[in-house]
Amino acid sequence: MSILQNMAIKHKLILIIMLACITGLFLAGTAFIGWERNTCRDGMMRNLSTQAEMIAENCKAALAFQDAQDAKETLQALHVEPSIVFGCVYNKENRLFTSYYRDYAEIKVHPSKFQEGGFSFADGFLTVFKPIVLDGQTIGTVCLRSDMSPMYAMLKRNISIILIVLFLSSLAAFLVSSRLQKVISGPILSLAEVAKAVSGKKDYSTRAIKQSNDEVGLLIDAFNEMLEQIQHRDLELVDAKNQLEVRVEQRTAELTTANEQLTREVAERKRAEEQLRKAEERYRTQFEGALDAIFIADAETGIITDCNPAATRLVGREKSELVGQHQRIIHPPEVIAGEFSNSFKEHLREKQGLTLDTQVITKKGEIRDVAIKANLLEIRGKKLLQGIFRDITEHKKAEKRQGQLLDQLEKTNQELKDFAHIVSHDLKAPLRGINTLVKWISSDYADKFDEEGQEQMNLLLSRVDRMHNLIDGILQYSRVGRVKEEKTQVNLNELMPSIIDTLAPPENITITVEDELPMIECEKTRIIQVFQNLLSNAIKYMDKPQGQIRVACMEEDGCWKFSVADNGPGIEERYFEKIFQMFQTLRPRDEFESTGVGLTVVKKIVETHGGRIWVESKVGEGSTFLFTVPKRRASVEEEKLLVSLNA
Amino acid sequence: MIVLALALFVTPFVPKVRADSTVSREYQVKAAFLYNFMNFVDWPEEKSSDSNEPIIVGIIGSDPFGGAFEPVKNKKVKGKNVVIRRFEGLKEQKESDEKDQEELNQEVEAIRECHVLFICRSEEKKLKKTINLVKENNVLTVSDIEGFLEAGGIINFVMEDQKVRFEINVTAAKRAKVKIRSQLLRLAKRVVEEESSDEAKN
Repeated sequence: MSILQNMAIKHKLILIIMLACITGLFLAGTAFIGWERNTCRDGMMRNLSTQAEMIAENCKAALAFQDAQDAKETLQALHVEPSIVFGCVYNKENRLFTSYYRDYAEIKVHPSKFQEGGFSFADGFLTVFKPIVLDGQTIGTVCLRSDMSPMYAMLKRNISIILIVLFLSSLAAFLVSSRLQKVISGPILSLAEVAKAVSGKKDYSTRAIKQSNDEVGLLIDAFNEMLEQIQHRDLELVDAKNQLEVRVEQRTAELTTANEQLTREVAERKRAEEQLRKAEERYRTQFEGALDAIFIADAETGIITDCNPAATRLVGREKSELVGQHQRIIHPPEVIAGEFSNSFKEHLREKQGLTLDTQVITKKGEIRDVAIKANLLEIRGKKLLQGIFRDITEHKKAEKRQGQLLDQLEKTNQELKDFAHIVSHDLKAPLRGINTLVKWISSDYADKFDEEGQEQMNLLLSRVDRMHNLIDGILQYSRVGRVKEEKTQVNLNELMPSIIDTLAPPENITITVEDELPMIECEKTRIIQVFQNLLSNAIKYMDKPQGQIRVACMEEDGCWKFSVADNGPGIEERYFEKIFQMFQTLRPRDEFESTGVGLTVVKKIVETHGGRIWVESKVGEGSTFLFTVPKRRASVEEEKLLVSLNA
Repeated sequence: MIVLALALFVTPFVPKVRADSTVSREYQVKAAFLYNFMNFVDWPEEKSSDSNEPIIVGIIGSDPFGGAFEPVKNKKVKGKNVVIRRFEGLKEQKESDEKDQEELNQEVEAIRECHVLFICRSEEKKLKKTINLVKENNVLTVSDIEGFLEAGGIINFVMEDQKVRFEINVTAAKRAKVKIRSQLLRLAKRVVEEESSDEAKN
């Protein structure tokens, strides 16, 4: 079967046609032969029957008249028919009357039984019985037996004819089908060719040529249609593939970035979660470990939901006594109005994030001052108010005390200031008197005094002057800080020349301003004082023939660092601190008339401005006084503090 | 009619059992042959047109057959019944009794009516006369007398080797206008075409 399937169409067609033809012919032949055989048999039977009848007819008389010889002669005529094996006549008693045997018959058999008027094909012989009827009565039977040789001969002949016809027809069929199969196979083969070409070269633009209008034509049409579609699809596919590739790339890129992003986000999320967890942990730790009490209550109901150990300590209740209770139980009635405590209400209303001072009450009934800073939390949809309570009872006490102390301090300060002022004034008055008196005395009694006397009088005057200066110095000192001046932007560059002018240095001393001096914010008078003091000191103590005083300025650490450098005698290191103390002079007052107050005042002024002053010096070479003035303006509070400290 | 009836009536009286033994084989065969002849012989139209009319087989003389016809008496030949009539031989016509003459005439008529007339040996002397009696009447004359054919008889039985054979005179048959089939003729031992020598005489 598979061989059949694998044959080429051409061969198949030829084979089919041939088979059909041969089968048809064969069947026809067989039918023909069969029919012929039957006809032959019938013919033979009829023939023999006829012969038997004829014999019967001819033997009628012989049998009727018992003339066996005559009958035998009649039977002898049978030899003409070579196929007749024997013929015999039986009389009424079925006894052989006469018989004829073909000479070369192999079998000389008397049939033992026979059908009357019948025939039988048996053992390759046809046996016919015919009754010999005389006038309606059977007087005997004729039996003829013939072999089938005529039939065989006929069959043989027929078969050979049929075979020859078959052969010739097959040949003809072969030739014809060979030719005509092209009608079917041609288009199919060409279609197959095209199909092979298409599938081999993947060229979908080829088309098969329609050669006929039958089913093959339909097939070709459909095939072409398919190719058309395939071509179309192919192009679409290529297109789509390209697009897809592009899109895939895009998507891959997108996905990659998204993935990266996602990974990052996940990492971040993890981090965030970790952080959150840590934060929560921290919070918890802080919450639990906080020194300040923390209460968390439901913002709507006011029921305490959580508190830390510090809270329990604050109000002297256990956590179990607090959680679930209304927040007002921790407050004394004075600070409760209505359902909630005042601070709670206020915090809810507007003052979140702000610190409110109120009071709590302990279990024992003790009232403590607290500062509460409250915030709204939203946890799982619930609004909670978290309040951090700081026990400020001590603080308040301290505050009060501080207030008291400050008042006291101020009072004392003021008293001191007044005292200083009064004293100096009060001290000055007698001095003036003394001074006047001494002057009178020296002038009035000039003639009464000797030189020594005069000298002592002068000494007395100088001493009085000195005292005056000292008192002035003290007064001055006390003024600084007491008399407040407005701080203004002072242009030192403009100021310096006038300061120098006022000082009127001698010719051998030169004062140079080396740098461009800045504009600083300070009390004008005071800064003049500073420079004046420093410069005058430098002038005063100059011991060199050519005195050089240099004023410089530089920026350092957010401050202006001023320096006044001279090439004077210099100062020993051990005195660097001392010189700024009140009433300290380096030289005895007899040498240099100095109140000893100048540097102290300068120091005070500088420190009031938030700076500091110090000296650098080398004995014999000179000294440099440096002081700083902060660039930025000190805060009001800082100033106040500075002022009060420095008063 | 009465004779007919009588003839019919007489024959059954012969005891059947003894028919075979008493009647010789020869006459059994001859009886059978006689019947068979009828199958191979055609009578002219006028003699045998009517199918209802039986075929008459006459036996004239002393019947040698006995009960030979017994087995076949009801057999039909050519569809017709067969009637056996026995006649006495022709008498001498010396005195003509009126009654006898009429009887005789009747008998002659009856004889002439036969299809087949078997002339027994007893009538050997009156052979020609008997033959002539029926020679115009389409009668198949059969006998077993020697010289029957020469006498004008048509079929004569002869014996050959213990077998019953017969011989035929075709001229006589022609004369009697009785057509004898060739088959029969073939079987005849001897076929003659002979006018009876006494033809002219009669």
